[in-house]
Amino acid sequence: MDGMNKNKKRKTWQSPWGYLESFIISSSILIIGFIIEFFSGDNLLKLPAWPVNLILIVIVISYIIIVQKFFKTSIVKWFSSPPAAISAISILTFLILLMGFIPQNNEASDGFVKMIGLTHVTTSWPYLLCSFFLLLILGFTIVRRLFPLTIKNFAFFLNHAGLFIVIVTASLGSADLWRLNMQTVEGRAIFTSYDHNGNSYNLPFAIKLLDFKIKEYPPNIGLYSNKDNKLKIDKKTQLMEVVEGSSKILDNWNIIIEKYLNGSKKDSLGYDTSNAIGAAPAAYVKAVNQISSKEICGWVSCGSFNSLMKPLVLTSDLELVMTIPVAREYSSDIRVFESMKKYKDYTIKVNEPLKVHGWTIYQTGYNEKMGKWSNMSIIELVNDPWLPAVYVGIFMLLTGSLYLVWMGRSNQAKKTKNNDLV
Amino acid sequence: MTWYNYSLYVYCVSGSWIIGMILVYLLRKKRIKWLADIFLVAGVVIISVFTVGLWMELERPPFRTLAETRLWYGIFISVIGLVIYYRWRLFWMLAYTLLMAILFLFINYFNPDTFDKTLMPALQSPWFIPHVVVYIIGYAFLAVSSLIGLIGIYKMRKNKNTDDTIALADNIVYLGFAFLTFGLLFGALWAKEAWGHYWTWDPKETWAFLTWMVYLIYIHFRVSKKKNVKSSLWILSLAFIILLICWFGVNYLPSAQTSVHVY
Ligand code: HEM
Repeated sequence: MDGMNKNKKRKTWQSPWGYLESFIISSSILIIGFIIEFFSGDNLLKLPAWPVNLILIVIVISYIIIVQKFFKTSIVKWFSSPPAAISAISILTFLILLMGFIPQNNEASDGFVKMIGLTHVTTSWPYLLCSFFLLLILGFTIVRRLFPLTIKNFAFFLNHAGLFIVIVTASLGSADLWRLNMQTVEGRAIFTSYDHNGNSYNLPFAIKLLDFKIKEYPPNIGLYSNKDNKLKIDKKTQLMEVVEGSSKILDNWNIIIEKYLNGSKKDSLGYDTSNAIGAAPAAYVKAVNQISSKEICGWVSCGSFNSLMKPLVLTSDLELVMTIPVAREYSSDIRVFESMKKYKDYTIKVNEPLKVHGWTIYQTGYNEKMGKWSNMSIIELVNDPWLPAVYVGIFMLLTGSLYLVWMGRSNQAKKTKNNDLV
Repeated sequence: MTWYNYSLYVYCVSGSWIIGMILVYLLRKKRIKWLADIFLVAGVVIISVFTVGLWMELERPPFRTLAETRLWYGIFISVIGLVIYYRWRLFWMLAYTLLMAILFLFINYFNPDTFDKTLMPALQSPWFIPHVVVYIIGYAFLAVSSLIGLIGIYKMRKNKNTDDTIALADNIVYLGFAFLTFGLLFGALWAKEAWGHYWTWDPKETWAFLTWMVYLIYIHFRVSKKKNVKSSLWILSLAFIILLICWFGVNYLPSAQTSVHVY
């Protein structure tokens, strides 16, 4: 290939630029980022919000198109060359690799690593500059490869422009993103919510929690070692699901659940069924030691916020205990008021958010100490006006990837179409 | 149709897939090759019939319990495996996907008591299965591509021709990379649905993204310098290390102490 020969004779910085120059440029950008970050101190980087972000996008895209179409200097050509692309991707990968090893946004971190932004990479100057550089190269490449409109170029466009759109809209859009938390309480209409820094905002609508519901998995029973102060969970000794009538062997003890109460109250004789608030699950258990045939019977309960937990003592350092039931599903019935008279009722749960008045409302939590008796439900309200644009980009990427699956490495595909590849 | 009929279906499905694969091999040079196809497709049809039957019986989409989830794994993995096989004639991929599917179906068979086991609320989503299935497939492709990379390096040492090796590696990387992209994007769409944001730079997400970037480098490196086979093969082998960290190693990193993905 005569291109290779030319490459050999070419001196550094003589056009066309290759890998050496590309990597020098990319690394310089990274280092400049570190330096700016170092001198900008504790000021956190903030991206511009609407409408400045839109104006910025329009300027950058017009700039790329005009320069690419009308100024065909060798530097402009370099901006859409594979070496430039690879160096930009590699440097960003390197930065994210550091981020992959260094704990992020950890309060305790300090020192030089923090000064150059490595403890908060995604809001640091090096990250901003490197991704902007990547975007420029991506943009120049897209414009150059737009024509002729063949299927191959179209797939190229879907992948590259899709990625461009996702990066631009997701990062610039983050400045217009609202994420607010609200603690709804049964029976009270609330329209105040808080952001992560604790600032309060009044929403254009109010929310009243009608009912908070929780479905739980049955509790488990396990052996607790007083010597090690922990539950014994290993391959041999596992937890046992509490189901009336079932039995299981845990570490030499045959455990039989003779009776199970979903909710219970303690009286002088033992435990009895109860539906009161805070009524904890309880089970009457028979434990038989397989070696000594010793038999121990008694009640076990995991307790709740207002009743005590009750273990069953087996030996001086071994107790049978019940774990607190885990939530399988929780949901809130809420009423959304536009005004005193105008309202509508909805149900939200994890994975099934609700969309009203431009906001998406997510079920995020509840009072975990109260568990299923919680009369408080924590919800998150998100307003993300750029979301449709992000989805357009994601959709383009998905379609472009489908093309990759179907065509593979296209120039070889024809050759090998009917032969077995392996 | 209920889980009581399940064993019959499991045997039929596994049987027809295994017979199908054996026939693919035995009849590969014969005119009656199509006989194998019938068995391969029949397996998918049978398991789908069971699932639809279950759906009608339960009067809700069977998407709730772990067992129901595995049923869908079985269906999706086998369908994707068949599509890839008919498009690319990759027999190992057919075998891999069908054996995975059989494995999932048999886990249900041997663990009938886990039909209703703990699935935390955030995982109870229609995105769960596509997200996991495409990752399983993507990782399989990329693992094989690294193997091919090592074979290539070995061949170079022995001064043998590597044109076919690198061409095959390229193709497998394209397929694997596409599935990785699906996995990443499905994950993002799901996170939006469950937590309100599509990307939070959680350590697992960070490493998944890194994996994706490394293969992106490989793809572009190949586009630009077709002759530079040796470096390409090395990139391919190194990329696999990142993939392994993402797959197994993330939980042990200092940066991962607060991950939602630790399992
Ligand atoms: C989803 C992500 C991406 C995918 C799937 C992808 C895929 C591809 C493919 C398949 C080609 C070969 C095109 C051909 O020869 O027909 C290519 C070329 C190229 N890509 Fe990407 N790419 C992606 C992201 C990027 C990024 C982030 C950059 C730059 C920062 C970039 C810059 C380039 C360049 C410069 C070329 C060479 C184009 C040419 O020579 O005409 N790509 N890409």
